[in-house]
Amino acid sequence: MSRPFKPSRIAQRKFFSGIGWIFALASFLLVSGPLVDILYTVFRKGMSAISLNLFTHVTNGISGGLLNAITGTLILVSGALVFAAPIGILAGVYLSEFGRSRYAKLVRFLDDVLTGVPSIVLGYFSYVTLVIGMGWQFSVLAGSITLAIMVVPYIARFTEIAFLQVPNSLREAGYALGFRELTVILRIALPLALPGILTGVLFAIAISLGETAPLIYTAGWSNFLWNGRLIHEPIGYLTYVIWSFINQPYRSAHALAFAAAFLIILMVLVINVGLSILLKRRRPVRPAQR
Amino acid sequence: MKLRPFRMALVLVTSLIPLALLAILVFLARYSWPALTFNGWHFLFGHTWSLGNLYADPVVRRGHLVPIGANYGILVFIVGTLLTSAIALIIAIPVSLGVAIFLAEGIGNHLRTVLSFLVELLAAVPSVVYGLWGYAVLTPLVARTIGPLLRSLFGFLPFFSGPIGSGYGLLAASIVLALMVVPIIAATVRDALAQVPSEMKEAAYALGATHFEVVRRAMLPMVRSNIIGACILGLGRALGETMAVLMVSGGALNYFPSNIYSPITTMASFIVSQLDSALQDPTGMAVRSLAEIALILFIISVITNIIARLLTGTPRNVSTI
Amino acid sequence: MLKTKSTHSLRAIVGASVLALSVTGMSAQTSAFARDLNIAETGSTLLYPLFNLWVPAYTHSHPQLRINTQGTGSGTGISEAISGVAQIGASDAYMSNMQVKQHPNVLNIPLAISAQTVNYNIPGLNKIHLKLSGPVLAGIYDNHIRYWDAPAIAKLNPGVHLPHHLITPIHRTDGSGDTFIFSQYLSFSTPAWNSRVGYGTTISWPAVPGGLGALGNPGMVQSAAQTRYSIAYIGVSFAKEVARAHLGTALLKNRAGRFLLPTKKTVEAAANQLVNKTPKDERISLVFAPGAQSYPIINYEYAIVNDHQANPQMAAALRDFLNWTVDLRGGNSRHFLRQVRFIALPARISALSRSQIAKIH
Repeated sequence: MSRPFKPSRIAQRKFFSGIGWIFALASFLLVSGPLVDILYTVFRKGMSAISLNLFTHVTNGISGGLLNAITGTLILVSGALVFAAPIGILAGVYLSEFGRSRYAKLVRFLDDVLTGVPSIVLGYFSYVTLVIGMGWQFSVLAGSITLAIMVVPYIARFTEIAFLQVPNSLREAGYALGFRELTVILRIALPLALPGILTGVLFAIAISLGETAPLIYTAGWSNFLWNGRLIHEPIGYLTYVIWSFINQPYRSAHALAFAAAFLIILMVLVINVGLSILLKRRRPVRPAQR
Repeated sequence: MKLRPFRMALVLVTSLIPLALLAILVFLARYSWPALTFNGWHFLFGHTWSLGNLYADPVVRRGHLVPIGANYGILVFIVGTLLTSAIALIIAIPVSLGVAIFLAEGIGNHLRTVLSFLVELLAAVPSVVYGLWGYAVLTPLVARTIGPLLRSLFGFLPFFSGPIGSGYGLLAASIVLALMVVPIIAATVRDALAQVPSEMKEAAYALGATHFEVVRRAMLPMVRSNIIGACILGLGRALGETMAVLMVSGGALNYFPSNIYSPITTMASFIVSQLDSALQDPTGMAVRSLAEIALILFIISVITNIIARLLTGTPRNVSTI
Repeated sequence: MLKTKSTHSLRAIVGASVLALSVTGMSAQTSAFARDLNIAETGSTLLYPLFNLWVPAYTHSHPQLRINTQGTGSGTGISEAISGVAQIGASDAYMSNMQVKQHPNVLNIPLAISAQTVNYNIPGLNKIHLKLSGPVLAGIYDNHIRYWDAPAIAKLNPGVHLPHHLITPIHRTDGSGDTFIFSQYLSFSTPAWNSRVGYGTTISWPAVPGGLGALGNPGMVQSAAQTRYSIAYIGVSFAKEVARAHLGTALLKNRAGRFLLPTKKTVEAAANQLVNKTPKDERISLVFAPGAQSYPIINYEYAIVNDHQANPQMAAALRDFLNWTVDLRGGNSRHFLRQVRFIALPARISALSRSQIAKIH
């Protein structure tokens, strides 16, 4: 005997499912709303400062342009990459190619832990050891090294994943042809892993663009363009403008703060677009579970 | 296996990473050691933080030279940190799940890339910009709209009743943290949902489930460990967040929040705001006590990371962090 | 070998960015580059607006000099001047005896005199000047006086209809010279506060439920403007912001018992009372000065400078600049000070400052 048809139960389930979808949509709107508002606020309040001046003049305390901050940010981020990219890529190679040993597992774990260290702790550590301890004072070197410590785990991760996605058959073909380990890694695996590595580097750039706390205590601030000295010379950067100019009693300073925020978001946006294009180009192979 | 130079070079370079971590830990421990011995357990349970009288001559107490009246207790900041992170997660987890479900199952492929990108952009906004927006837009909004709304809806609970104040406080800080944590959880869960084998989905459909029921009862349980792991990662981010919280939290000192609108202070933001004052202490005990706070934060972040790894194994998703 | 398209695009990106950076570097005005003679100034947010007026004017006639200014807080100013990270530490507070003992070669040089206002945000009452005293403020900030219509406040303001509403006291979270002088006013006028809390650039504010901490003077203005029934202490160089936010300004009770606003007359009167008492190292508080016309919260704005500089050129540049700032025709002229509502140093004080400046080598 078949069960009696219960329309009310089905209707109830449909109703709750509908609620579920509404909730999902509402969550999305709840989250994209503030984002749009942030972009809008930053743009609106920074508008008065956005002009060609921004890119041709330096800051003079409360107004002026942002050239010193823009170039300073780029220099600090490049400096961070100079340290983080080689170390991160090599570490990623090690973790992927020789990653079954106990030591590799330990490194991978500590790598993750490093990403969880609050940035203020890193900044304070660098202040005491590099700025004061080594006597470098506020400097590009101190700032770059601190940023490098922050982002090297990300580069290592992405490199490892990129190398893991290179099919072993290619490596085995290389060995079969008599290549050394070094050659197999450099000439066969590396070119294929390059998009993934680039993703990691771009990710690292995006993170370091937006950091403030580590730099306040290591790079200091300068109203002028960098003169090339690695130590004993502070440097400006955009996040400092956001952080401190909002505290000045001048409209011009506030506008500069928002303009700096706008520039950073723009840069990160560009990098994110680059990231998504790169990600789409990759083969949709998921990394092997460990 | 013979020792190969290439492999050795790799190992050496790779070791720089754990070395950096170790250096930070050792430095913090050594630098804060005098504070650790001076403060003892009282550090964690005292609710008064006082640098003492910096303009009078310091005295010797418990074997250390400290300013008169110096008393370092961080319970208020621990409470502030835990409350903001907890409330941020309470807001962020359901919202992130909703967003993830929406992105993974609710829309077509073409829309998915663009809208996912929008959500990931939330993670890309620097925290100081969140602070700026919070200061300019969110705190007045909390004071004028969100606060009164919550109070009218939940005012029967003591936590939601009482004075709303200026908008700077626990609620604003938690909202900002939630916005920063959502992309982490949402992106992870969205990717995990995308990996659920279609046989599970088809089986559920075959049993007569609606689309949403498929998601809720067939897919979500499969990715439970991913969800939990992502939540822990989000927690780690919330615990360490500094600048944004500093600008909207209201800087409470020496008292506990009485309701959700009350000003609070978190450990990370306290270090930033107190560093200049602490540098004024000629005995150095104040700075070392701040370093002790940093040490405790560091230990907490290590613990949350350990838990995250234990719960998720090691799948590392490329497009999420 | 296996050169992929991504390698090519990678090279293109790298090449383009290097090119872009060098073009930017080359096309920027050469005068915008940092030079060897860089003076770093950091510290008090109260002095920061004045420094930003001074620096363009002075470097206009001294183009080979570069002066970087930062508004970070008096505490940072002092510590960075001591550690040598900054050449000039701006501070509203002088160094403590212990700090002087540890760093005997650091000078505290007054550059100008500033004052502080106590402001409040009471709907309907912001246009009138309420009378407040040190003991009353101490009571508000340590939770003894909780409501605006408390008897202590009503007694000082007969005839004013005070609302029955909780007071929200706002203090500075960062290490601040404003906190220093405000807490000195409370300490000097109220023995109970002095023994329980004391004064400093940062103090352990007694727990007042709902009490707010704000960042910097602008944070004080913003928090007060956003919080009804609040009270805050704000540096006088932010008077324009206070007016724009429509906050009320209090009449403060001085040592002689009179209630005053900070005007040029009342600030100068207080400063003159203590000119002769100022010691050679110029570390003295001007708060709660005697005299019927003296405004109770004024202070010297200090430049904290290490008397031993990295090289003779730096020392000479610092001496020249600092001497210019205390000159009545230079930094201490009405033209600059009027914009921030500071007053000039009395003659004897600027002479003392100059003799300290001469020690920089």
